[in-house]
Formats: sequence, structure tokens, C-alpha cells
Amino acid sequence: MTTITETIEIAVPVRTAYDQWTQFKSFPRFMTVVKRVEQVKPNVTTWVIGVGPVRREFHAEIVEQEPDSHLAWRSLERSPSHRGEVSFRPVGEGSTSVSVRLEVEPRGVAGALTVAPGLTRRVVRAELGHFREYIEGLGEAGGAWRGIIRNGHVRPVEPEPPRSRVPCWPVG
Amino acid sequence: MNKRPGEQPKDELTVTPPKKWAAGVPAVVHALEYSLEQTSPLKTGVDLLTMNQVGGIDCPGCAWADPAPGHRHRNEYCENGAKHINDEATTRRITADFFRDHSVSELSRQSDMWLNHQGRLTEPMVKWPESDHYEPISWNDAFRLLATELNSLDSPDEAVFYTSGRASNEAAFVLQLFARAFGTNNLPDCSNMCHESSGFALYETLGTGKGTVSLHDLHHADLIFLVGQNPGTNHPRQLSALEQAKLNGARIIAVNTLPEAGLLRFKNPQKARGVIGRGVQIADRFLHIRAGGDLALFQALNRLLLEAEDARPGQILDHDFIRANTSGFEEFAEHVRAISWDDVLTATGLSRTQIENVRDDVLRSERIVVCWAMGVTQHKHGVPTIREIVNFLMLRGNLGRAGTGACPVRGHSNVQGDRTMGVWEQMPDSFLDALQQEFGFDPPRAHGVDSVNSIRAMREGRVKFFLALAGNFVRAAPDSEVTEAAMRNCRLTAHISTKLNLSHAICGRTALILPTLGRTERDIQAGGEQFVTVENSMSEVHTSRGRLKPASKLLLSEVAILCRLGRRTLNGKPDIPWDRFEADYGAIRDRISRIVPGLHDFNRRVARPGGIQLPNPVNEGVFPTAVGKALFTCNDWEMPHLPDGHLLLQTLRSHDQWNTIPYTPNDRYRGIHGSRRVVLVNPADLTELGLSEGQHVDLIGVWTDGADRRAEDFEVVPYPTSRGCAASYYPETQGLVPLDSVADISNQPTSKGVVVRLEPTAPRPSTSPG
Repeated sequence: MTTITETIEIAVPVRTAYDQWTQFKSFPRFMTVVKRVEQVKPNVTTWVIGVGPVRREFHAEIVEQEPDSHLAWRSLERSPSHRGEVSFRPVGEGSTSVSVRLEVEPRGVAGALTVAPGLTRRVVRAELGHFREYIEGLGEAGGAWRGIIRNGHVRPVEPEPPRSRVPCWPVG
Repeated sequence: MNKRPGEQPKDELTVTPPKKWAAGVPAVVHALEYSLEQTSPLKTGVDLLTMNQVGGIDCPGCAWADPAPGHRHRNEYCENGAKHINDEATTRRITADFFRDHSVSELSRQSDMWLNHQGRLTEPMVKWPESDHYEPISWNDAFRLLATELNSLDSPDEAVFYTSGRASNEAAFVLQLFARAFGTNNLPDCSNMCHESSGFALYETLGTGKGTVSLHDLHHADLIFLVGQNPGTNHPRQLSALEQAKLNGARIIAVNTLPEAGLLRFKNPQKARGVIGRGVQIADRFLHIRAGGDLALFQALNRLLLEAEDARPGQILDHDFIRANTSGFEEFAEHVRAISWDDVLTATGLSRTQIENVRDDVLRSERIVVCWAMGVTQHKHGVPTIREIVNFLMLRGNLGRAGTGACPVRGHSNVQGDRTMGVWEQMPDSFLDALQQEFGFDPPRAHGVDSVNSIRAMREGRVKFFLALAGNFVRAAPDSEVTEAAMRNCRLTAHISTKLNLSHAICGRTALILPTLGRTERDIQAGGEQFVTVENSMSEVHTSRGRLKPASKLLLSEVAILCRLGRRTLNGKPDIPWDRFEADYGAIRDRISRIVPGLHDFNRRVARPGGIQLPNPVNEGVFPTAVGKALFTCNDWEMPHLPDGHLLLQTLRSHDQWNTIPYTPNDRYRGIHGSRRVVLVNPADLTELGLSEGQHVDLIGVWTDGADRRAEDFEVVPYPTSRGCAASYYPETQGLVPLDSVADISNQPTSKGVVVRLEPTAPRPSTSPG
């Protein structure tokens, strides 16, 4: 198990930083190794990451999410598997400390090669920097998902969510 | 039920050992063999290479989901899908001469297979009351006849409009719109006979009638249950998802009365390990359960989980999920703790150790998916069984998380979408209000009839007009003799069809055949080339666009037929733009987007690769039930009363068959060749019944009405079915399923739980093929 922790301070309010982080599909716009992200469900995302011509796809489950506080995920693949947490902490007025903690468990030779800890640490640090440049430059988030996730279960955003979004009658 | 002459096998029955694996190279060979027998190499190539591809043809076969765009194989189809699509693309044609040569009476005695093999229907035909032959009729006259007949009914409720799962969203929407504008909710569909129990159980307990899983969930599950389903034959592409799950480390538990090949091992013909290797083992554990024993099994598992929680408090159940999202846990727990192990073991035919082993698998698994099909739904306790499966999933929070959920596996391409479009006899006021607001008429509010009640109404003369949008109602419905009499009792029956089947020959006094485009064919209307949309079992709505030249210039699309019917019958009242709908299906989708929740901006969104994923509220933490929470339920059951000397029969499809249509008299996986008139019985039961292999028997259905339901002259095949259970092919044995033998709540025929006895067939003079 390799653990990597990186922290960065960003000059936007915590809500802005958090909201932008929930917009996973926008990550390829400012991150270098993230090529594509699909939001399969509120708690499941598919990521394509790559360097040069090499591409790797994995699926991640968000297991905990608390607005303006933290978000924890784990990969659904068993090899190599990883889990992580990003936390948001207000620092002074209008600034946020964003910390990423990543635990990687390489299994097998291939797994070990693809998750060399030094490289992973540099990538995490660089991508956090890209996130800071992006959100500080824009000043406001491009969207937000304010739902809560506990133990992998989504809690509705509103106490009485609209029940008309999908057909609600028996389907034989 | 005498044999239809066409059912006479050309060869004698031969029986070989059942296969222990599915697919592999033989699947490719058989698919290509049948395809090339039916159509040209070019059409075969076009069909197969565009099938289930983005922008291509959606397989008209099962409703299994496609992988995401970019992750599909070049050959994204299965053996049975390939056969099915090229069965439609056949180069054989039925013309007016055919009907001159064959009377309706003669056709009514032919087999399903013979009728299907005659080819595609090419022009509208009518059978007048005084005639025993179909004869050509112009489309204009056909619509005039339909409109006149409909408008002469004493009440709109004397008409029934049936939908098969092949119909597109657009056709289904137009059909229900027409029916309601005409004044009736009589909209039975094939769902009434396959997954109605799933819809009712899921809607009641979770607030949505649809399954909650995606392919991602299956791929990443730790444990998958396959209950009462046969993926190798009925949903072969599911095997690819199961293979992926196994490679990711999942365990699979198959629960079935038959050790079907596809439950045991899968040789993926697109992978080297499937072509030259041993493939992938599917089931790690096979529970050879008695028919109808699934409710008892899941109740026993639930009791064991509660007891495990007693032993290790706070470590077994997902208390957070139960507290936050569910209602009724205490009552459920009290109820399930009181079940009797003796009853469970009798109902399931399993040992307590076997069930405890499953409990141990469950406790080792963080993510569980339960898949089921008609082996669960087509029983008297189908709805309670699925409710108990929901209880099981909820106990450990296996709903809404990644890799978890409820997965009803539906059997026909757009059966789920047709229901989304409002083809249901009991649509809620919210839908009817939206229809009223959009089209300016007041839809009828009284519930209509489903499939079983349609047959009752036709039998009793309360329904006089029957129109089917695709399908083969006479053969799909239960109690064949009753259904046939009901159809013959109608003043007019009409079928929108691609190919000939018995529903054209066992028909009303006046009967119409309205030939239509197949899914494989280009659909060009006044507004240009059209596509249709469908919804798969995992709530993905996407396009389907045919590529082949239509089988005849005189074919109209399903949408065109229904629009012309609407225009001619309703005569502008209410004012519905039928012409515009026919010219441009996008205009229909615009209306759907304003009526069906979740399909807003339909045209733009469905054009994207992969289409629209309809959200499932359960995956968003929303349970839109009456109380706003998921419901634990208390489910009771009675043991099926099986007198001595009787067996519980299930009707099933062979591997070489699509729904009611067998392609050959073989069932490759089960080792049956040359005849379909066989009954599969456990060897120990045969000994007990004093019967022997190869003996010819009549199957006699036993029901409370005392009616004589008999399927004659079936050959006995010893087979590893569960003790006390037998199996025989559908639709030949549909006549044994009493119309009144239905699942509680869903009114679905109980085709997997028919009490029969076997009597040696009396010698009789042989009949010659007609």
C-alpha cells in the first residue's frame, strides 16, 4: 500500500472550490492526465487517464460525500486498486485548503509498474496545481452537486425531491 | 390439443447429453448457417455488422443493454439475435398466390415453425366472414374497414389494442394515443405475460417499476444471483457481462430447476479463451431448486441474515440504510423469523446446509446483484417472491450503491419502453392529465383490460374488435383453446405483422393482415428517412435505424399504419396531427418529451451516441412509494398442491426458438433433436410414476375448473429437472396453463407452475401432414 498526501491552498471560498470539484466531467479541461470522465450515476464515475499514447480506464465509487467538507472514493477495479479522499477546509477569508490523500495498492507486476509512487505523487501535485489555476482564474464554479453520500448511498439533495423526473408506474 | 401436422418431426427424436457450456464456435456456426439459409450473405453482413452499434439496428430480440459507445465489439450480437434478425431479413416472400393456395383452416393446422418459414408478408390481406381464404385488399379499403368497424361499436371499450415488445417507442406512443383518443384504456401488452410481477413488486416496494442496475453494476458486483433465468438461450449477451464480472472476481449463484448450459460455463466466441480454451465457469454454486421455491429460499436467507445479526450485532445489516430509507423493518423481521424450516426445505427441495452456504457467500460479499426472469415471475407467488428479493437486498444495503441492485431481465427488445410510453391499462392520472393538456381531449379514466382480461372479455363477447401491434397473441397467451375461441368470437381481428403466424389463421370473423416494415429495413417517409427509439432493460433509450431495402414496396411502417388508422377513425376529433407524425417521427418524440417524465429534450438527447440514460430514483436515494421510503414487506405463500402422481410443469423455450417461433425442432443445449413434443422429467420421478424413457404420454392439466386440458403425445425424456418438476416447450403446452391460473396481484399467467399428470398415450391412427 502506497499513501500519497498533497495539500494546496486556493484563493477561492470553500464552497466554490468544493462545487467545482463535484463537476468531474470538466476535469479534462484543466487536468493533464485526465482524458475523459463520465458520470454514470451520482456515486459512480468512469475515468480515462493517460500519458502520451497510454490510456487506462477505471471506475470509481464515491463512498462518502459531504458538501464543503470532503469526498471519499475508491476504485471498483480490484487490480490495481486505489482509494482516496479530498477534503476542503476554509483558510482565512476567501481561501480554501484542499488536501488529497491517495492510497494505492498495486497488485502484480503490471500494477506495480503503472502506479510507481514517485510518479503518482508528482502527478497529483501537478494536477492540484492545475485545479487551482483553473478555479482561481474563473472565480466561480461551473456547476455544483450538493448531494450527500453515506456508505455509498446517495441521500437526496432536497427533502422532497421532485417525483416526476422518471416514469413512476409499474413496468411489466 | 392435438398435434398440428406441421409439428410432425421430419426425423425421429434423438437425445444427447445436455451441454455443459454455452456459445463458443458452434454458436457462430449455427447463427451463420441459419442466417445464410434465410437471406443473402450481403444482407447477413449488413445486419450483423450494424446490429447493436451506435446508429445501427437495435436487435429486435432481447432487451439486454449494450456496452457504452467505444466499448462495443465489432460483432455485438449473440447467436439468437443473429438468427432473429436474419429471420426477419429473409428473402422468402408471401404473396396473394400463397393465400389462394392455402385456406385459413389449413393454415390454422400448420405449425408455428412452418408458418414462420414461409417468409415476409408483402401486401395487406383480408379474410371476409363468409370466406376461408385471405385475399388482397388495398390499404385504403383496409383502413376504411377498420374505421367503420371501430365506429360501429356500441362502446370504445369493445375494442382492444395489444402491443408486443417489438414495437418502437414511437409506435407504442401513437397506439396508446389513438386508443385513448378513441375512448378506451384497453391496452394489453406482452409484459402482462412476462414481467408484470416484477413491475408490480418493484413499484410497490421501491416506487419504480424498473430494474436499478447498469452493466457497470454487474461488472463490479461481488456476488450475482441468477434466479429462474436461462441467459444462454434467452439473453446470451448477458453472458459477456457475467464473464466480465467473473474476471473481476465475482461469484455467481444460479438458482434454477434445470442445470442450463449457460448457467454452467460460457465460451465467449470473441475471445481466444472461448474459442480454443475452456471458457469461463459461470455458476460457482448451483441451487437445483423446486419450481416456485424461490420465495421460500429468500425468506430463509433473510432469516439467516437476521440470526447472523443477532450473533454479531451491528456487523451484518446495513442499519444506516434501513433507518434512513426504509419502512416496515420490524414487522418484516418478526414475520420472517417465524418461518418454518420444514416448509422451506419442502418448498425448495434444498438442504439447510446448501442455504447456509449461500448465506456465507452473502456475508462475504459487499456488493450483491439479484437477476431474475420468468422462472420467478410466472408463478402464483411471483410478486411476493420479488418483494422478498427486495427485502433481501435491503437488509445489507444492496440497493443504490455501485455494484448492487435489482435486475429483472426482460425478454423482448422494447417491452420496457412500450410501458414507458403509456401502453398500460391502468395509467396514472398524472400521465393522462399530461396527455389531456398536450392534445386537448379527455382520456378515459376507467382502467382497461390486460391480456388475461382481454381474453375473458373476448370470450364473453364484451370485446368485439382486436388489433395487435406485432406479436403472436394466440400462441403467447395461456389456455390455447380458450384463447382461440375468444379470438374467433371477435367480429374483427387485425394484426400489424412482418411474418405469418397462427394469430392470422385463428382469427375473428373478419380478419386483416397489415404488413409492416421490419426493424432491419429503411423507413422513408414524407419527411425523409426516419429512425425509431427503444429502451432496454437498463433504462437506456437509444435509436434504431434499419439499413435494408424493405421486403415490399407496399409495406407501411408501424407508425404510418397507426397514424392512418387514427386519421380515418377519428376524423379530426380530437385534433391530432397524424399526418405530421407519420411524416416525421421527431414530431412524435417532441410530444413524448412533454408527456413522459425523464424524456425532456428527447430528440436532441437521443441523437447522442448511446442515447439517454433514464435515471432511476433508487440510485439517487429517492423511493417514490406512497410513504416516500422503500418498503419491507411480509410475504406469505402456500405450498403448491401437488396430488400424488402429479408434477409441476414449466413451459419453456428451446435454444432454437424466439418467443413463440421455433426455428428448428432442435434444442441444442438440452440435447433434444428432431422433435419438440417432449416432456423432461427427473429419472427418479419417472421410476416413481412407472414411466420409462421414450414412452409417449399425454400431459393433462389439473385445475379447479375441472376442464379437460390435454397436450397429446409427448415423448418422455429423462432429464435432470428438480424432483417433482417437469418441463416442456412453449407454445405447444400453453394450452395446459389455465386462463384463471394467474399470479396474485399482477394477473400474470403462471406458466412455470402448472399441475399436470402424465398418462400413457392411447394408440390412435396417425394423421398425415397437411
